[in-house]
Amino acid sequence: MVSRWMYISLVILYSFLIGPFIIIFMASFGANANLAFPPQGFTLDWFANVFERSQFIDGFWVSLRLGLLATIASLIMGIPVAYALTRFQFAAAGLVETVFSAPILVPGLVIGFAMLKFYVRLGDLNVLTVLFIGHTAILFPYSVRVISASLRNLDPNVEDAAISLGASRLRGFLLVVLPNMQAGIAAAFVLGFITSFNNVPVSLFLSGPGVTTLPVAMFSYLEYHFDPTIGALSTLLVIFTIALVQTAERLLGLSQFV
Amino acid sequence: MIRRPNQNRSIIVLVAPAFIFVLVFFVLPLIFLLSQSVLPGDGGFTLTGYADFFESRVSRIVYLRTLKIGLIVTGISVLMSYPAAFLLARMPARRRSFLMLLVILPLMTNAVARTFAWLIILGKRGMINQTLMSLGLVETPVRFMYTETAIVLGLTQLFLPLMVLPLVSAMENIPDDVLEAARSLGANRLTTFVRIVVPLSSDGLVLGATLVFTGSVTAFVTPAILGGSRLLMMSTLLRQKSVAIFDQQAAAVIAVVMILTTLAVNLLLRVGRVRQV
Repeated sequence: MVSRWMYISLVILYSFLIGPFIIIFMASFGANANLAFPPQGFTLDWFANVFERSQFIDGFWVSLRLGLLATIASLIMGIPVAYALTRFQFAAAGLVETVFSAPILVPGLVIGFAMLKFYVRLGDLNVLTVLFIGHTAILFPYSVRVISASLRNLDPNVEDAAISLGASRLRGFLLVVLPNMQAGIAAAFVLGFITSFNNVPVSLFLSGPGVTTLPVAMFSYLEYHFDPTIGALSTLLVIFTIALVQTAERLLGLSQFV
Repeated sequence: MIRRPNQNRSIIVLVAPAFIFVLVFFVLPLIFLLSQSVLPGDGGFTLTGYADFFESRVSRIVYLRTLKIGLIVTGISVLMSYPAAFLLARMPARRRSFLMLLVILPLMTNAVARTFAWLIILGKRGMINQTLMSLGLVETPVRFMYTETAIVLGLTQLFLPLMVLPLVSAMENIPDDVLEAARSLGANRLTTFVRIVVPLSSDGLVLGATLVFTGSVTAFVTPAILGGSRLLMMSTLLRQKSVAIFDQQAAAVIAVVMILTTLAVNLLLRVGRVRQV
């Protein structure tokens, strides 16, 4: 069944997926400033430029804080929803599922635009607060889905045993269910953080004076500059992402959920 | 599952915080947006915004171009992923999980970084132009940037993983016996692939196509960088109307058309899938 042209197509697929990263990597060390390829010479100037520009450093901290806060908020509110969906049967379950998958169906740029219009009408709100609200909303689909999957893998009889032995449902949840879903929470956390950390369309309209996320800062830089700085920054980000995923995998074994 | 008399109260307590959050911070702004598209400043309901959108030659061209690019990207993604996904699904677990990681990794990098590579590949002094010129095939650089080809390439690179992943997981579930049975009954490779593998992996195909198509027609970063204001798609037109031209009603109309398009595609493919089952 397996034929030679399948291997050829596999090679094409992977050169298309990975090739651009190799090109970015090479270009970020090249000495020419005009994105010519192949790059001439060797320099670390572009990496230095990344650290000299405050919009990237500030953007990194904004994105980091935003990613952590939005992911935590979406989990704190999303875990109870996933629990209700997997442990109770109720008529409105379909509606609840639809509402919480809706943010994935609406284009990110439209979400950002709608929120901007709405909050401008409401009056002055802190930029970071609006970004936080927008990112939390778009993370619900991920956290509810991943946590639901991890709760479905956990036998409800285990907590029912605790409850029938006299524990309250809350106590049963905290002492029996929660410790058993660590890996699921970690998977949802990493997925949510990466989604928020990389988001451009939602953040684009919501970023305000002085507060810009890292990907939006990268995008704005590209609108005015045509040099390998973004390549150097992208190389750093790829390393950051691999390190993050590797650490999570080592500590918690995420691959069973992804 | 334990059913208790106060079950409803528990459900409300569990679901309410997140539900209210999504309602207030997500649904309400969208309703406000919808109202902005039909209620211009001076009051009164009107559909002129939508009439203007579909009567304007520019926005019609942009809308059709967006749909066309979405279809092309989806088509190329299917062609590139299908045979490779089949191979991946039949691989020994260790090698497969490494290769699948390589599919997922690009998804974890932001779109600006991934689009940047195409500036180096397609630019005036980029990889392709340097190659063409050193081979003597062209004398002056060919313009690849700000073309539909550039956007299609960028979007395909961006969304390819969303086709590969559901296809591989659908194909993993096809038992080897079925394929061997088809072969031993005389079907050749192509027949087996078209009549056995394709129907049995159609769920993955439909899911992948939905994700790639809706992703492509709503993506912003890639068309903004590779198409610029010279070659607009719906998302870049929305930003232009809102930020540069400052026509908020037109921007709201574009936003609503984008939502309706993604919803329509999702519903259409969902209905199609139900009918097949």
